[in-house]
Parts: sequence; structure tokens; C-alpha cells
Amino acid sequence: MDWLTTVDHKKIGILYFLAGGFFFLAGGIEAILIRIQLMYPDLHIFVGGTFNQLLTMHGTTMIFLAAMPLLFGFMNAIVPLQIGARDVAFPFVNSLGFWLFFFGGLLLNLSWFMGGAPDAGWTAYAPLSSDTYSGRGVDFYVVGLQIAGIGTLIGGINFLVTIINMRAPGMTFMRMPLFTWTAFITSALILFAFPAITVGLVELMFDRLFNGNFFEVGQGGNVVLWQHLFWIFGHPEVYILILPAFGIISEVVSTFSKKVLFGYSSMVFATMVIGFLGFMVWAHHMFATGLGPVANSIFGVATMAIAVPTGVKIFNWLFTMWGGHIRFTVANLWALGFIPTFVMGGVTGVMLAVPTADFQYTDSYFVVAHFHYVIVGGLIFGIFSGLYYWWPKITGRLLSEGVGKVHFWFFFIGFHLTFFPQHFLGLIGMPRRVFTYLPDQGLDTMNFISSIGAFLMGIGTIAFMYNMIITGMKKKDAVNDPWDARTLEWAIPSPAPEYNFKQTPLVRGLDALWKEKMAGNKEMTPAEPLGPIHMPSGSILPFFMSLGLFIAGFGFMYGKHTFEVEFFNTLFNNYIIAGFGLAITLVCMLLRSVYDDHGWHIEVEELEEKGVKA
Amino acid sequence: MANAHHAAGALPAEPEKATLEGKNKLLGFWLFLGGEMVLFGTLFATYLTLRHGTAGGVSAEHLFKLETVGWSTFILLTSSLTSVFAMIAMHRHQLKALLGWLAVTVLLGLSFLGLEIYEFVEYVHEGHTFSANAFATSFYTLVGFHGAHVAFGVLWITLLILQGLKKGLTVVTAPKFYVASLYWHFIDVVWVFIFTVVYLMGKVG
Amino acid sequence: MSSEHHASSPGKPHRVEGPKNHYLAYVVSILLTMLAFAAVIYGGLDKSFLIAFLVVLGIVQAVFQLAVWMHMKERGHTFPIIGLAFGFVIALTAVIAALYWMWW
Repeated sequence: MDWLTTVDHKKIGILYFLAGGFFFLAGGIEAILIRIQLMYPDLHIFVGGTFNQLLTMHGTTMIFLAAMPLLFGFMNAIVPLQIGARDVAFPFVNSLGFWLFFFGGLLLNLSWFMGGAPDAGWTAYAPLSSDTYSGRGVDFYVVGLQIAGIGTLIGGINFLVTIINMRAPGMTFMRMPLFTWTAFITSALILFAFPAITVGLVELMFDRLFNGNFFEVGQGGNVVLWQHLFWIFGHPEVYILILPAFGIISEVVSTFSKKVLFGYSSMVFATMVIGFLGFMVWAHHMFATGLGPVANSIFGVATMAIAVPTGVKIFNWLFTMWGGHIRFTVANLWALGFIPTFVMGGVTGVMLAVPTADFQYTDSYFVVAHFHYVIVGGLIFGIFSGLYYWWPKITGRLLSEGVGKVHFWFFFIGFHLTFFPQHFLGLIGMPRRVFTYLPDQGLDTMNFISSIGAFLMGIGTIAFMYNMIITGMKKKDAVNDPWDARTLEWAIPSPAPEYNFKQTPLVRGLDALWKEKMAGNKEMTPAEPLGPIHMPSGSILPFFMSLGLFIAGFGFMYGKHTFEVEFFNTLFNNYIIAGFGLAITLVCMLLRSVYDDHGWHIEVEELEEKGVKA
Repeated sequence: MANAHHAAGALPAEPEKATLEGKNKLLGFWLFLGGEMVLFGTLFATYLTLRHGTAGGVSAEHLFKLETVGWSTFILLTSSLTSVFAMIAMHRHQLKALLGWLAVTVLLGLSFLGLEIYEFVEYVHEGHTFSANAFATSFYTLVGFHGAHVAFGVLWITLLILQGLKKGLTVVTAPKFYVASLYWHFIDVVWVFIFTVVYLMGKVG
Repeated sequence: MSSEHHASSPGKPHRVEGPKNHYLAYVVSILLTMLAFAAVIYGGLDKSFLIAFLVVLGIVQAVFQLAVWMHMKERGHTFPIIGLAFGFVIALTAVIAALYWMWW
């Protein structure tokens, strides 16, 4: 029950990890099924519409329901600790963000059981995604992502305000750890990118459910408009995915090289430039739509420009390691695996940025190879690195290094076996999103190797699940600072106590904890006297607000459906269900406004005893 | 967040910023407005793309009634001014004036909505329905979204007035009033762009 | 109707919050609006010039309202200004892209 009402960022972080982890497995199974179908030519295991549903859900689930929540898990678990705060700015909204994501993801996946999953690709291009050419599955996509998207948007606002307003005394912006910086820029990207996809989804929903004409060419509409709206969101989205991973790598590399991060200011500046430029390059996903040479050239050059600040980051990581005392913990193995893999993905990105060359690459497996290199080789490796690094801080236990190495090597080798051949498959002409291919076209061997690689990644993932289970059975005996690290989160016990910091710390420089260690102190200097700590109360309202929108979503999706039972027709066709769902949400908002939350206090006596009851 | 209630006696000069909670709410709302700018921006971009897509139906030049729009604009602009008066009253700790000016704002907002509904009904009678063509769909979506924002604002401010009557002006309620007034100004700024880009440019052709 | 000073800003001179400035912003907004409507109704202006003129009037009015009514000029509004400015830049990018796409 506590988990349904919690507003504690640490617990919400764990909820994000659990839900994101679950969806990661779902997306992973979808991927394995795709690779089974493509293992040999002319197979008939998952074909046609089924295959389209698998590939659509694999992409949509992995990006929206796995990667983003896992990143939010990290941001929740770690950012307040890194800035010396006791919680985020809006704990209630934090919980609401999680439940909205959860119900949006649930709605989307219910499609499997209710007539079929969306099948128009994770990009849902019009007119394929219009109701003329797609079934109800796309309605689930449109509604589910809108609900989940609102959750993400408010989460972004939450972290922006938290980082701006709630840093501990002495922590200026230029003394913040890199992970917090990347969380900050990522949150800004979320704030400005998600409204664009919301508008796109609303327009598609209006076309599909209410006879709109945005994408109906015969009625004056324009189908390329969808692509513009989608990618104005979609390109910043991939930077939303990768920037936090960059932040994790910065932390891990500097901790396990026992050296301060090289070029801190340039890292911060590079992150800002990447974030800003990320909004100016979206049409590189549209080179083949006939925008014309001027537009193509502008977007091509802008895209290549992003390689520069990214390169700055890569070199800074390398210079951090140079001359450092490197420890090959599993967290660091992931970070070290990230660097060359991400670079490989990046350079194929520069190749794709050339419009004329892209005419050949577009819609082929070359593109698939590129984005998996950067998303899996970048983001997922970064997430695994962060998990092994911060697991003790979140759970109080250290993951097994032995099993971790099995996890790493199976996944790493499997990854390259899966996706490296796909570059060549693309170059020799295999299109993407096809459910089979003819034999003896030169595609057989590479597809086979690619599928074997996928199985190895599956084994690696199972090893990780095994690691989590056996670790979960151990005692919670991690020390505050198992890695001899540099930043504030390691100054408090593992796992962090409910109130985070007994006394808000005083920050005296970059790498706040390291600064104290070098000055001979065992702990941070407090910035305030010991006193009662005010904590926000939990609430069940976020759960119900999200449930309300979930119900309303079904109400709108089935508004024009003819049921066998006449009663349902009355309920749905008059939008009574839709109205009911919206009413639940609005009433909860009203209750929230009217009833003041005074919270509760942890008294000084409890702080002085060892450990406060969680 | 430790002291949600003011010390016995004086309400601070800018009560909406007196607590960390209040400061957070204000900043959070400003940032939300930044996101709303992108939301409306993409709706404008859509409208600009599709405004000539009439599929043979009636076009903006012949459809729009500038007189109605002129009055709507005047009403909304005035309501923005009255919401400013409400904030001035709040900074002077005058609860009754605050609530009074907010009530006037709500009435003006309702008048705006009434005019807009009347305008839309006229257009529908002339065949300009939501489903008629892409121009119509994008027109109703953009202007309708704005109208929905006005409606939500009217509801929100009304409920705040009721809350104000019950709880008075405190460091807890002040940020709520301030945020609602920021929202109200924002939808007026959006309207400036709507009447310029949609109606005036529509008449020009 | 005397002016009210904010207790939190020593030293830096800033406009008083009295209603005078707000009346001014209101009147300017009304005037700019009437000017825009008049320009359209008059009908004698060249189309491209007219459109540019309307857009400029709109932007000026928006800036006025933001600056005066939404207190953007005052201290402590750094992040709100960055937030709105950024949102505006991205919205503008989308609008310019749409216009370029339709009319080039």
C-alpha cells in the first residue's frame, strides 16, 4: 500500500526501475521473436501483420516504456542525493508522473489482447497510421503515448525546478556533478520536445476518432506534416535518451580512474550545445521526402555539427582515464564498452547525415544498425553501468562482480554479433521492417549471425536477472561509499535513509565529497543544525488521476464502436465512459488543491538513533 | 518546505514567493508555460501549413467575421488587465479586492467563450464543420484548444475564488492565485497571435 | 493608489508596481490591436507588407504584455525568461519550417 501512495523519490525511482525493467523484458522478447523469424530465409513463424505488430511494439516499448523510465529511475534515485536535497521539488507530481507512465504503458500493451497491437511502426507515419489503413491498434498507440507522455513532461519540469531551486548551500551550477548536469539538460529537452509529439498525437487522434483532416490529402491535408511533428519531437527524444547515459559514464569513468573528470566546463558546455542543436536537425530523418536540396543541405550540415561537441566528450573521457588508476569493476567494464561502441554508432550517424548518401541508406538495415549502436551500445550500456555503480546506494547491496562479468561479456559480444553485420545487410540492400527475405541473395549468413547475437544478449540479460535475485537474498551490508567515490550521494548510508541527509551538507567545491576527503574529513560539513525534518505525506490521488485518464482513454477509443450489448453502446457512444474518466481526474485535482498537505516530521531523537524506520 | 505557515502576524510583501514551496510552484509554472509555447507553436505551424487546404470549401477570407473577433479581443485583453488588478490587490493583502477582480476576470472570460461559441455556430451553419476540410480541422483545433484553455482557466479561477473565501490569503494560497493569473496572461498572449495569424492574415488571404 | 515597493530589492531601481504601468500596457495593447484591425479593413496595403506589419504588431504587443503584466522585467526571473525564450525559439523554428516548406 505504501508503494501505491509513496511520494518519496527513492521509492518512485525503484518503481520506475521495476516497471521499466519489466517493459525492457517485454521489448526484448519482441526483439528475440523478430530475430527468430529472420534467422533463416523464407520462414513463416511471425509474418505479415503479426510481424508488423512485433516490430512496432519492440520500438515503442523499448523507447517509451523501457529506456525513458529507466532513466527517470536514475534521475529520481540519484539527482536529489547528488545536490544535497531531501526530495524533488514536487513529490506529489513525481508520483503522478510515474503512475501516468504506468497506465499509459499498460493501455498500450492491452492492445495485444484487444484486437491487435499497433502495427504502423514506432514512427506511425501517416497515411499508414490513419484509420483507412490501420486498425484499432494505432488508437492504443495514440492514446497510450499521450497519457505516458504527460507523465514524462511533468517529470521533466520537476527535475528542472529541483535542480534550479534546491541545491545545497555552496553547490553552484558549476560544482554540480555531471550526471546532474545531464539530467538538467535532458529535462529541458523533455519540456520542449514532448509538446510537439503531444500535438502530433492529438492531430492523429482527431483524424482517426473524430473525422479530422490533418493528414487526409483529399480534404486538403498533408501527410508529411506528421513526419515533421513526429521528428521535431523524435530527434530531441534520442538526445533525451543518450545525455543521461553520458552523465553516468562521466561519473563512472572518473570514479574508477580515481581522477577528476577532465575538462568539466567543456563537458557542461558540450552537453548544452548537443541539447540545443538537437532541436535543429529533425529533418535528417526526412531527407528522402522531397524537401529539396536547400533544406537537405542545411539539416545535413547541422547534423554533422553535433558530432563536434560529442567528440569533445569522448576525448574528455579518454583524457580522464589517461594517467589514472583504473579499476575494472563491472560498472567500469560497461563504461569502457560504451566508449568505442557509441563512437561506432556516432560515425555511422555522420555517414547518414550526408543527404545524397542517405538516399541509399534510408529504410535499409544500415539505419537499423546505426540506431541500435547508439541506443543499445550507448544508452543501454550506460544504464547497465549505472545500475552496477549505484545499486549499493539504492538497495544497500552490491551486485555480484562475477555474475556481472558473465552478464557483460555475453551481452557485449552478443550485441556486436547482432548489429555489426546489419551495417552490411543494409549496404547490400536489405530493407528494414520486412518479415522475410529470399535465400541465396547474400543475406542468409549475416541474418543468421545477427540472430545468434540476439540469443547471446538474451543470455546476458538472464544473467543480470540472476544477479539481481541472488543479490536480493544477501544482507544489506553495503557501506556508505563502496567505490571510494567523489560525489555527495556517497556521503550518506547505503541505502539512503528516508530523509537523505540528516543535515544539509555544505559544498565547498566540485566533487564535493572528494574535496572533503582530500581535506582529511570523514564526512561532509553540515550547513544547518540538527533539527526536525519535514516530510511530505503520501497520497493515493496520483494513482486515481492516472486511472481516470486510463478509463477516459478507453472511452474515447471505443466511442464509435458497436458493441453487442446495447448498454455498452449507450455508455461508450455517448462518451459517458470518457467523461467519467476525465471527471475522476478533475475531481482528484480539485481534492489535491483544496486539502492542504501539512506533511509530517521526523524528530531529532529519531535521527539520533541508528536508522529511521523506512 | 519547513514553514508552510507564516509567523504569527504579518503576511510578507510578496506572499507567493515567501516559501520554498511557493518559489518552486512559480518557477515550475513558468517552465510549463515554456512548454505550452511549443505546444501552441506546433499548432500554429500546422495551421499555417493547412490553412489553404479547403478542398473547395469556404475559405478564411470569406468566412471570418472580424467584428466578433474584435469584440472577443477587447474582452480578453480587458480580462487580462483585471487579473493584474487582482494581483496588485493581493500584494496589498486586500483579500476582497483580489477575489472581486478575479470574479470580474471570470465573467469576462465567460463572455469571451460565449462569443466564441456563437462564432463557431455561425461558421458551422455556413458549412465550415470540423470534418469539412483540413483548414477547418486545423482552425477548430488551434482556436478550440485556446478556447479550452480559457474554459479551464475560468473553472480554475472560480474554484480558487471559492477557496479564497474559505481560507483567505495565506502563504499557501498566494502562489495558487499568482500562478492562475500567470496562466491567464499567457492565454491572452496566445490570443494576440491567434487573432493576428488566423483571423487578420486569414482575411488578407 | 500609491505605489508599492517590493521589500526584496534594495539598490537596483525598478518600476513601481502601481496601476499606472498596467494601464499603459493595456492602452498600448488596445491601440496596437486596433491598428492591426484597421490595416486589414483598410484594404489598400500591399499583401506581403501587410502580413509583415501584422506580425510585427503582434510581437510588439506580446512583448509588452510579457514585460509589464507578467513581471518579466523584474529581478529573479532569469530562469523563467530562459524557459520562455527557449520555448519561443523552438516554436518559432517550427513555424518558420512550416512556412518555408509551404512557400518555397
